[in-house]
Amino acid sequence: MMQIFEYNGSALVAMVGKNCFAIASDRRLGVQLQTIATDFQRISKIHDRVFLGLSGLATDAQTLYHRLVFRHKLYQLREERDMKPETFANLVSALLYEKRFGPYFCQPVIAGLGDEDKPFICTMDSIGAKELAKDFVVAGTASESLYGACESMFKEDMEPEELFETVSQALLSSVDRDCLSGWGGHVYVV
Amino acid sequence: MDLDMNVNAPHSMGTTIIGVTYNGGVVLGADSRTSTGMYVANRASDKITQLTDNVYVCRSGSAADSQIVSDYVRYFLHQHTIQLGQPATVKVAANLIRLLSYNNKNMLQTGLIVGGWDKYEGGKIYGIPLGGTLVEQPFAIGDMHQLVVKAVSLAIARDGASGGVVRTVVINSDGVTRNFYPGDKLQLWHDELEPQNSLLDILNAPSPEPMNI
Amino acid sequence: MSKSVIETPPKGGFSFDLCKRNEMLSKKGVNPPSFRKTGTTIVGLIFQDGVILGADTRATEGPIVCDKNCEKIHYMAPNIYCCGAGTAADTEAVTAIVILLCLCSDMVSSQLQLHRYHTGRESRVVTALTLLKRHLFNYQGYVSAALVLGGVDVTGPHLHTIYPHGSTDTLPFATMGSGSLAAMAVFESKYREGLTVSSPIPFFWSLIFLFQRNEGIELVTEAICSGIFNDLGSGSNVDICVITKGGKEYLRNHLQPNPRTYTSSKGYSFPKKTEVLLTKIIPLKEKVEIIEGGDAMEE
Repeated sequence: MMQIFEYNGSALVAMVGKNCFAIASDRRLGVQLQTIATDFQRISKIHDRVFLGLSGLATDAQTLYHRLVFRHKLYQLREERDMKPETFANLVSALLYEKRFGPYFCQPVIAGLGDEDKPFICTMDSIGAKELAKDFVVAGTASESLYGACESMFKEDMEPEELFETVSQALLSSVDRDCLSGWGGHVYVV
Repeated sequence: MDLDMNVNAPHSMGTTIIGVTYNGGVVLGADSRTSTGMYVANRASDKITQLTDNVYVCRSGSAADSQIVSDYVRYFLHQHTIQLGQPATVKVAANLIRLLSYNNKNMLQTGLIVGGWDKYEGGKIYGIPLGGTLVEQPFAIGDMHQLVVKAVSLAIARDGASGGVVRTVVINSDGVTRNFYPGDKLQLWHDELEPQNSLLDILNAPSPEPMNI
Repeated sequence: MSKSVIETPPKGGFSFDLCKRNEMLSKKGVNPPSFRKTGTTIVGLIFQDGVILGADTRATEGPIVCDKNCEKIHYMAPNIYCCGAGTAADTEAVTAIVILLCLCSDMVSSQLQLHRYHTGRESRVVTALTLLKRHLFNYQGYVSAALVLGGVDVTGPHLHTIYPHGSTDTLPFATMGSGSLAAMAVFESKYREGLTVSSPIPFFWSLIFLFQRNEGIELVTEAICSGIFNDLGSGSNVDICVITKGGKEYLRNHLQPNPRTYTSSKGYSFPKKTEVLLTKIIPLKEKVEIIEGGDAMEE
């Protein structure tokens, strides 16, 4: 039996620093053990201060991404402002829970800056159970090794440069132990 | 041995419930054990539920199903009482339960005993088992209250799915009386067995013969 | 004729679009992902002046602990709280739905009652109970939320348990979740009615009240701890919520029996820096402040 997340493979991590956050992913897109692309974008910008990473089945990730962007644009039109990261997390959670009995095979990671540059990070399971963490969140096939790496490398109140280094090292060392993700990573520090 | 205690099984009432009519009223009795698989989820539950002032129901089977049925019937009966301007009869209550049980018989896993008193027919007992049949239970004479307590305590002694305390409800023309018999005050009904300390005592005893495998 | 397929946002209920595809996938031998569960110890008890709810703070996804300090005591109304065990998403969603429904029924009932009572009434615990059980019964156990509901209303303190299939119990002390057996063992041996001191002197009422409450909190803490230490699905810290007639007190991380002991004080330094292939700096959009008033706008 294969786990559905193992079809494409992915690694996602988000970390909190001092008035900043970093979100990072690997660059591999595979079909089981065969690598299809080595520059895959798993993280996307919702607006300047909110980033969304979608791990799991790529087809569902793309569908979900388009629905989320659509809903966010409707919100922008109606409210004439950008969504707060907390609000956006609630939106993702609601969309996922709607498919409670036939879920998208996706595990999202949401990172953003709220009021007064307060960082916000959050992950969910495929049916939208939020996990709000103060330090770091991880998702994808490399999540087990990412938990270990982040648990030991994380420090509180890191400056952007140090945060970048920590996230990158955690990601790279973790994907080395996961054959379904790799090929370097994208890191966004906001 | 099956070590999976099945704690996540639906909440159900492996139950002893009983209803008896006597000259002038009815007595309802029930144990108080609610279990999920092997685990006793509630050891002091109340399985005799009030429907109206003069009609009560004993619930058995799936706890969720029997609760929803009695909740609906209570709601219908209250509406019916207001429309009629007088208390609903036991027959009406029993018929409502039958209707719900029969129409949803593929969904519901519950058997109920309705009992109560009304001015037209006196004390009446109806049983509505699994499929939604309606059976009127006959009349008996004697000290029904003690009989009910004795019957439930016997069931508690012998049936692993029943246990806890005995609750009874007596309904007659004077009104309703609830009674409670704590589990440690009940007769154990183990008198017929010789008290034994260990297997060695049985083996050493001249009789009865030890069991052979 | 082409039909517009744009999904408009205000839409409630579940969507079953992907069920067929997912069923096909699992028939082909592809496992669906495991959901986040709160293999949990949640408890509640009634003490003399109200209700105390307690929960551990571990969330799991299969064998992995995915949250070491999650919140399992959910807010329902100012006077009602609810502990959730089972699939995390379900407990969250169910309580959220009921909060919404409670608000609606509150609005309706307070509007109706305003003439008579001058102020709106507190929501009752049974209202929340009925809404929860109706929702869970409708989904026949597929929405797997096991709840301990506690609160104080005009009719006094109430404690209920609600099972995923929609059955409910009313109890003086209750436990739920995978650690319920461990916690129940503590309650069965130590719970007593009222948790009170005999013949209290009126002058010392407030002092004695504090003592009684502490007695209750201590018992709840002990029950949760026995879940934390004896059940693998439960762990980390103890959350407690005390609800009394006058108000409530939410004691987040009341006890932290499992602190982190393995952090490196110096932290890590990386002598060889990560190789950066490309750096792109995107400046954030500037905020524009609009000053209201003046004659900038014309009709």
